[in-house]
Amino acid sequence: MSCKACGLRTLIRDDATENMICDSCGTVQDFINYQERAFNINGPTGVFISIGSSGCGSVLNYKEKKIYEANNLIDDVVFKLGLTGGSKVREIRDMISKVTDGRFGSSESRWFSIFVGACVYVVMRNDDKSLSIEEVSSVVGCDIHELGRMVMRVIEHLGMKLPGFDLVGSFERVVRSLSILDRVEEDVLERMRKQGIFLVQCAVKWFLTTGRRPLPVVVAVLVLVAELNGVEGVKIEEVAREVHVAVSTCRLRYKELLEMIVKVAQEILPWGKDVNVKNAVKNAPLVIRYLETKCMSKSGGERKGLESTKFDLGEVVGECFSKNVEYGVEEDSFEYEDLRYFELEDATGFDKAGIDEVDKLQLSHECLSMVYDKFLKDGGCGRYMEGSGKVLGKKSERELEIQATEWWNGKSELSKKLLLKQLLEKDVGFSVMPPSFVNGCTKVKKRRAKINAAKLRIDRIMNPWKSDSGSGKACTAEGALDRKRKRKSLVKDIDWEDFVIETLLLHQVKEEEIEKGYFNTLMDLHVFNSGTIFLTVPGKLGLHLALVKAMPASVSGMTFTDILSWGGEVLKDAFPGFVSCLVSGVVCLVYCSIADFTYTPNILLLTDIAFQNGPISTRLGRANCGAHLRSAG
Amino acid sequence: MAEQGSLEGSQPVDLSKHPSGIVPTLQNIVSTVNLDCKLDLKQIALQARNAEYNPKRFAAVIMRIREPKTTALIFASGKMVCTGAKSEQQSKLAARKDFKIQNIVGSCDVKFPIRLEGLAYSHGAFSSYEPELFPGLIYRMKQPKIVLLIFVSGKIVITGAKVRDETYTAFENIYPVLTEFRKVQQWYASLSLYLSLYLII
Repeated sequence: MSCKACGLRTLIRDDATENMICDSCGTVQDFINYQERAFNINGPTGVFISIGSSGCGSVLNYKEKKIYEANNLIDDVVFKLGLTGGSKVREIRDMISKVTDGRFGSSESRWFSIFVGACVYVVMRNDDKSLSIEEVSSVVGCDIHELGRMVMRVIEHLGMKLPGFDLVGSFERVVRSLSILDRVEEDVLERMRKQGIFLVQCAVKWFLTTGRRPLPVVVAVLVLVAELNGVEGVKIEEVAREVHVAVSTCRLRYKELLEMIVKVAQEILPWGKDVNVKNAVKNAPLVIRYLETKCMSKSGGERKGLESTKFDLGEVVGECFSKNVEYGVEEDSFEYEDLRYFELEDATGFDKAGIDEVDKLQLSHECLSMVYDKFLKDGGCGRYMEGSGKVLGKKSERELEIQATEWWNGKSELSKKLLLKQLLEKDVGFSVMPPSFVNGCTKVKKRRAKINAAKLRIDRIMNPWKSDSGSGKACTAEGALDRKRKRKSLVKDIDWEDFVIETLLLHQVKEEEIEKGYFNTLMDLHVFNSGTIFLTVPGKLGLHLALVKAMPASVSGMTFTDILSWGGEVLKDAFPGFVSCLVSGVVCLVYCSIADFTYTPNILLLTDIAFQNGPISTRLGRANCGAHLRSAG
Repeated sequence: MAEQGSLEGSQPVDLSKHPSGIVPTLQNIVSTVNLDCKLDLKQIALQARNAEYNPKRFAAVIMRIREPKTTALIFASGKMVCTGAKSEQQSKLAARKDFKIQNIVGSCDVKFPIRLEGLAYSHGAFSSYEPELFPGLIYRMKQPKIVLLIFVSGKIVITGAKVRDETYTAFENIYPVLTEFRKVQQWYASLSLYLSLYLII
């Protein structure tokens, strides 16, 4: 054996340290000293210490070590989520053990930490503890969708069914856990909590939460409530960061919430027209007050329910008869209802209004007394109502700023947590359609207008001799001024959608289908349908088809007559003999010159066809159209 | 105006087949083809102009067919997947031989908003509604075995069908359920509540 430093074979044992050292250079050698310690003449000596052992003779194997470390990981995750209650942790551990058949998983692997997170989430959710998936995923360090997939696998494996997400619980949890709210006084916080719950449930009723992530709504409500109670420093950005959600989504929800308040305010407040998103926060107390009063007048709500069903039935019948389903009919009717209801309340005080309504309905005396009894039992809100009308009236005349304690009663059921069914049956006196639905309706209407405009344009091209006199008449004959305006503006900036619609119309696609807006599908089915069905259309139409389809975006502003005259000029210069050919031939040539800016090959091909003036297959148009549409994207 | 009339769609919806009056639009059809022979993908990629092949990223040639506008994935094993067709014929035309439709995706709009929470609550056995993860309600219908994505806006996506009629049946099955949970439902509920109160008196 030689020294590792100098290479000489001059190693000796140092008696003091029992290390091998080199006699010549003094380097301590770095091995074989264990032999001396481990054995003497009597065999092994001392205590063995190795990783994974805990005491004499008991060596932990791989599996036990894995489970030990897995448990450490579980403890870590659970601790970070602030769940130190014994039974919960045990439940989580049991679930993990059950799913993995007691094998747990390596704490180093990513899937296991996600799995632990998923189990924590499932246990908490099952217990209505409303831990948000965002919070868990931020602790585990993964994407919420990864976690979500794991959650789904876990519940599928265990054959469980998760209860619905508890929005109210989630709000309460955020209020409790938010560090910004630490310094807020207890009673203010309690009031904020109640108002928040109230607003959250209103948001559920107003479809602000359906199909949306719950936490941004919670953040929006919290910020609004804090603002209303004069709690400073609760910014959307900070709250969003603390609950791990995107700031922009929270802003959007906040905006939606304010817009909704504006809508209610416009319905109920005498100065409603002046309310907008900017001063909505100032008006919010009155709106909330109104909503609160409204949902507390339970019997009133029921009576109203009966009345409004008339509208419902009317609507249903109307829907059956009219082909065009008008959106938002019922919404309007309810709003009118509310408005009228409130006017009465404003003018004569609630009690009188109530009686009036009852009289109108011609209820029996027994029924009346029963309703009244029930009315009184509901937290004595009868007395409260008496006052409320007056207070509201006075306040509305004088000032906007009202102390929170004055406008907030906090006794309505909506400020307590309700079951979904109860919540949906409650009447907050104002109902709206979900934003996505409203958007869908506007899009359909827009497409409808575009279809009409496209039909007019096509009509003008198909009957060019009528175009000067006829088109103007047609527009006015329609009678719809706004449509005319729309059509005009559309002509100015025709976009790809108009071309697609025109093409589809020319391919005899149903208007209802076009209205749905599945353009890709319709184009593939009816326009690019590769030869499976050969559409044969009359010559003139076919050529128009080709023209409309192939018109590039650059000339989209031009009208048909413009193109025709321009094309005529071009042709006169280029091919004088051709000018006298059929109108459709001209159209064809014009189309070529515009579309390709190269005359010869296409013109020859197309004029041949034009001269024949016979049926023209859409295949020709399709080939060109396809190229153009694709190049246009 | 005769020509104008010819532009309008004239075929009415067959109400015996579609009692709801709404016909789901087919959006995508996925089919597979087994060519039963090994393929040299490199050669295919070099020969065909519309092929895209990056073995590092994906072990199949991606071939975009222009008409019908579909995308085919061609694997070395001789199996082929054809996606993007809008009708069965298109899919067949794109794939041509020994052909089997694997999935049909359709969509439609019922034109009223749907209270997803209520639907999830009362059809808990079939539906999964997790707004934290996905905005729609996932409804797993057992008969026919179809998955429907139901959105609050009233838009529906129907997937998992092997034949067109499964899509239609699934929609006709779900439609009455959806009408139950359209937004106005609460008013009917309060009406029935009131009527029952009346009856008690």
